[in-house]
Order: sequence, then structure tokens, then C-alpha cells
Amino acid sequence: MEINIKEVNGVNVVEFTGNLDTNTAPEAESQINGLLDAGAAKILVNFENLNYISSAGLRVLLATAKKMMVSGGSLKICSLNSTVQEVFDISGFSTILSLAANEADALAAF
Amino acid sequence: MPETQTKFTILAVDDTPENLDVVRGILAPQYIVKAAINGPMALKIVEKQPPDLILLDIMMPGMSGYEVCERLKANPETSHIPVIFLTAMEQTSDEASGFKLGAADYITKPVNPPILEARVKTHLALKQSMDELNKAYGVIKRQKDRMQEELNVGHDIQMSMLPLVFPPFPDRNEFSINALLKPAREVGGDFYDFFFINKDELCLVIGDVSGKGVPGALFMAVTRTMIKSNASGDRSPASIVTRVNEELSADNPQSMFVTLFLGIVNVKTGEFRFTNAGHNPPYIIQDGKELVCLDHRDGPIIGAIGGIAYKENKLSFSRNDTLLLFTDGVTEAMNPAGDLYLEDRLEAFLNSQNNLPTDELVTATLAAVEGFAADAEQADDITLLAFSLDIEPQELVHHQLELEARVDLSEIDRINQEFSVFASQHGIGAAAVQKVCIALDDLLNNIISYGFENNEDHVIQLTLDYVGERLEITIKDDGVPFNPFDQAQPDTALTVEERKIGGLGVLLVKELMSDVSYQRQQGSNVVTLILNTVP
Repeated sequence: MEINIKEVNGVNVVEFTGNLDTNTAPEAESQINGLLDAGAAKILVNFENLNYISSAGLRVLLATAKKMMVSGGSLKICSLNSTVQEVFDISGFSTILSLAANEADALAAF
Repeated sequence: MPETQTKFTILAVDDTPENLDVVRGILAPQYIVKAAINGPMALKIVEKQPPDLILLDIMMPGMSGYEVCERLKANPETSHIPVIFLTAMEQTSDEASGFKLGAADYITKPVNPPILEARVKTHLALKQSMDELNKAYGVIKRQKDRMQEELNVGHDIQMSMLPLVFPPFPDRNEFSINALLKPAREVGGDFYDFFFINKDELCLVIGDVSGKGVPGALFMAVTRTMIKSNASGDRSPASIVTRVNEELSADNPQSMFVTLFLGIVNVKTGEFRFTNAGHNPPYIIQDGKELVCLDHRDGPIIGAIGGIAYKENKLSFSRNDTLLLFTDGVTEAMNPAGDLYLEDRLEAFLNSQNNLPTDELVTATLAAVEGFAADAEQADDITLLAFSLDIEPQELVHHQLELEARVDLSEIDRINQEFSVFASQHGIGAAAVQKVCIALDDLLNNIISYGFENNEDHVIQLTLDYVGERLEITIKDDGVPFNPFDQAQPDTALTVEERKIGGLGVLLVKELMSDVSYQRQQGSNVVTLILNTVP
């Protein structure tokens, strides 16, 4: 899986290409933790090129959300495909995390 | 305080005032007496407040007593008031004309007081009885109308639930289907239904509820709804009927029950699985072969007792095979001599026909039954449902894949890759592939991370079977006994702070797959996942 990080208007945008599952979740966690340690207060996770996410990936997102809640930061996620959206709905994550349809909408909401 | 009975009112009509005095003198204390000295005045008084009885002089100037009587009898508001003619002359011809006009009686003048009193009393009593009779008749008629209304409502409920449009699936050429239900006068409780449970599997239902009228119709509506909702996720007739019986028998205070035949036919392959719960055994008509009767029971009538595991049977239709389902309105149809139609006559009739198209079959069978019954009243609903396979049945092709994974997390990726290749070879869509990969990731992660104390020399076996847009995956490992589906569910309503990390994997597997199950088989955990790849 590829992880691409860019900065747009003070927001750290993390783009995933591939699958966020047991094998790739550790790398994702490590990259995001790197951002948090560097003081990132606004993180947008862009799932436009994400094929699917398993519970391992959900754990990373939840851990990130908890840390940012404590630090007062803001986490958003955008561009979920239909299977990823279904996973978020089943797990209840669509109600506890801030989702957006696309990157532009998400950035505007920060 | 003593009850005072309302006094009757009597109107006396006579052009001679002295005669009115005499009548008043005789009747006054017992009755309220009103007086009129001519016809028009009398009619006015009657119009204002109809009396209970009228004493009417015949010979009056202007309007005669006959004319007054005629007018009274012509008006429906006043025609019921008894009229007694008073006349000075005793002439039989006058009496005859008077009675012809509708008079109740005749008294000759000079009036004899006891006779007048007696006749008045008699006719008032008669009128009172008539009034009571009419009132009672009104009550009975209203009840009869209410019962008819109930029958109509029951009938409407029954009819509203039946698929009545034929052909119901004009874009499907694999089969033909036709049905009819001829209700008895009192709603008899028959029903039929058919619906697709997935792209190629058609569920056929026929049943007969024991209750009549509106309660029977409502019970039928409940039964039909339960069948439909249970069939939507379940392809096994035995399982559907078992579940419906559990639900129906649990909440059935009136102890109604249903005879039921339920079958699921794959219209591409001709495979037919069916369960008979106490219903009339159906027939199969085949080209050039003997009539077949599916004569066995898979369990009792449904709705009576819970805890019953129904069985199911399987057969394969050939092209042009016709299945005929029917209710006992057919076999128990009675003719005027009291004979029943019975299975023998039905079989004789079916044998006498060529393998008819489904629409002709149901109408011809109904005509045969009605011909037999002649003008005897139809005691029960008559229902017929015919299905025939019109194409050459296809062989079901199974696409299979067998994989083995070592107990190492890096194997998960390889497994998912191999599955993705298999999926693209056989046209399984992207969404289905994603769901399977997520499920395998979560389940294999669990097994690899927690299932073994020492990871060497263990192997996890996966088999995938893809047939008819249905994917069945089994995952077998000989690790510690563990049923992933037997664990507590995470609470998905908690907030970010409250949520625990963990437990989500199995929830995703359960919800993304169409069906999941676990078995412990000879020292191995066996998890089975089923996914219908076309929703």
C-alpha cells in the first residue's frame, strides 16, 4: 500500500492507495503517529484510492481519533467507496467520525 | 314512584259534534282523545302528530271517510295507523269497500260502548305487536348486514394479498406460471403466493387456513407475511417452514392452523426443493410419462405446536414438466348427491388431458370440478397453482479454489491476492471481492494471532466454491477451539472516548457476509461464510 502525505492550507492530507488491513495498518499507524508527534492539529484522511479497510485499519483510525480528541485536534475522512462506507456504517464509525464526500468539501469544513 | 305508561292517542273524525262527544265520553279517561269534524282537519292533525288509532266516520261532506283512509294508507308515514270506520248504516258493500281500502275494522253507529272499548283495545294491542315485530326485524337486518360486511372485508383481505396479474414475470422465459382462487361465499382461508428469493430461485406457496371470516383472513395475512420475510434470507424450504411454524405457534390464541406446501425452484437448473406441512400432495405432469403424486409429509400443519423440525425433499424438473398445486376445495367439492370429487377423479381428469399450458390447466381443472359439483353450493375456496419449466435445465457449474496458508500474518495478503485473481476469472464483482477480503483479513488475523501456541507445522485450509452467484468459503484450522461468532458484540453506539479498540472484526464479518456459521469438526475449527454475490 502507498501512503502519500501533503499539506493543504494547514491541513495534513494523508492519501492511501491500496488496502488498509492487517498487513498495512502498522505502517499507516506509524506515519500518522509521526504527524501527531510533529504537532499536526488538522488531519484529513483521503480514501479516494482505498480499495477496502478491515478492522485492523479501523483500529488505527479510532486510536488516531482518540489521541486528537485529547489534544484538541480535528480529524476528517473523505471519499469513501461504497464498501468502505458500508464498513463504517456497520461499525458505527460513520456517526462518531467526521466524513465528507470529497477532499474539497472536507478541507472547507476545517 | 310508580311508572306511568304513556297513554295512547286516538283521533276521532265525525262531522256530527255530538258523536265526537259520545266517543270522547267512552274513551276519554283511558286514552287521549283528539277530535276532527272533517277530513282535511283530520289529515292536518295526523300530519302534526300521528295518533295510535283513528276512528273514522264515512259519511262526511266534502272529503268522505273513504278518501281520508285512502290518503292515510297512501302515505308511508301514516299507513301503519289502524283505521276503524264508524258508520250509521250496516251495509256489507260498504264494509267490503272499507276493508279493501285498508281499514282495520268496522263499528256501526249508534256506538255500543263496551264494543267500542274492546275493539279499540284489540287494535291498539295489535298495532303494538306489529311495532315490536318491526323493531326486532330492523335489528336482525342490521346484524345480517354487518355480517355480510364482515364477509366482504374478509374477502377483500384475502383477495388483496394474492398475485393476480398473469403472466407475472413477462421478461422471464424459463418458466410459465398461472393460478386462480375461487372463494366460497364465506371466506375459506385459502391463499397462494410466488416470489423470487434471488435472481433464479422462485418460491411457490399454497396454503389453507383453518379459520373462516375475518379472523381467518387476518391469520392468513400474517402467515403470508411471515413466509415472505423468512424466505428472503433463507433458501431452504425446511428451514423457512420451521421458522414460520415457530413464530405462528408462539402467538396463536385462537389456535388456528395452516396446511402449507412451500417449494423453491431454480428456474435455470430445474432443481426443486420442497416441504409439505399437512397439505394436499401436488401432482407433476410429464410428457409421455405417468402422472406423479408427491405423496409424503414433511411435518404437521403449521401454527399448532412449536419445536418441530420440518424436512425437505429434492427433485429435478425436466423441460415441460408441470407442477400442479391445489387445495382441498378441489378434492372435497361436493355434488348435489353428496359425492366428493376426490383424488381419483382429479387424477382421472389430469390423465385425460395432454400436458396443458399452465393457464389452460388451471381453468380446465376448475371447469372439471365445477362441472362435477353442478349447482351444489361451493363450501370451500378452490385454489389451483400451476408451474412449468419451459427451457432445457442447465447444469450448475461449480468453480472451486483451494488454498493453504501458513500461520503467518504475511500470508493474508497472498490469500487475498489469489482470491482476487479467481474472482476476476469468474466475473465476481469488485464489491463482493472487497467484502471477502475484509472478512478473510479479520478471520485469518484472529486465527494466526491467537489460535496456536507454536506456529510451526500448522496450516490453515481454505476452500472456495462459487456456483450460481453464490460464494461459499470454508476456513479450517486445527488451533485451539474457538468460535469467533460466539463472542460479545461491540457496542457501536458508544462515542469515540467510550469505544474500545477491538471486537469489530467479527461484527464486520457477520454483517458483510450473507450468512456465517461455525462448527467444531474432529479437532478443527471450521468457519463457513456464504456470500450472495448479486444482491
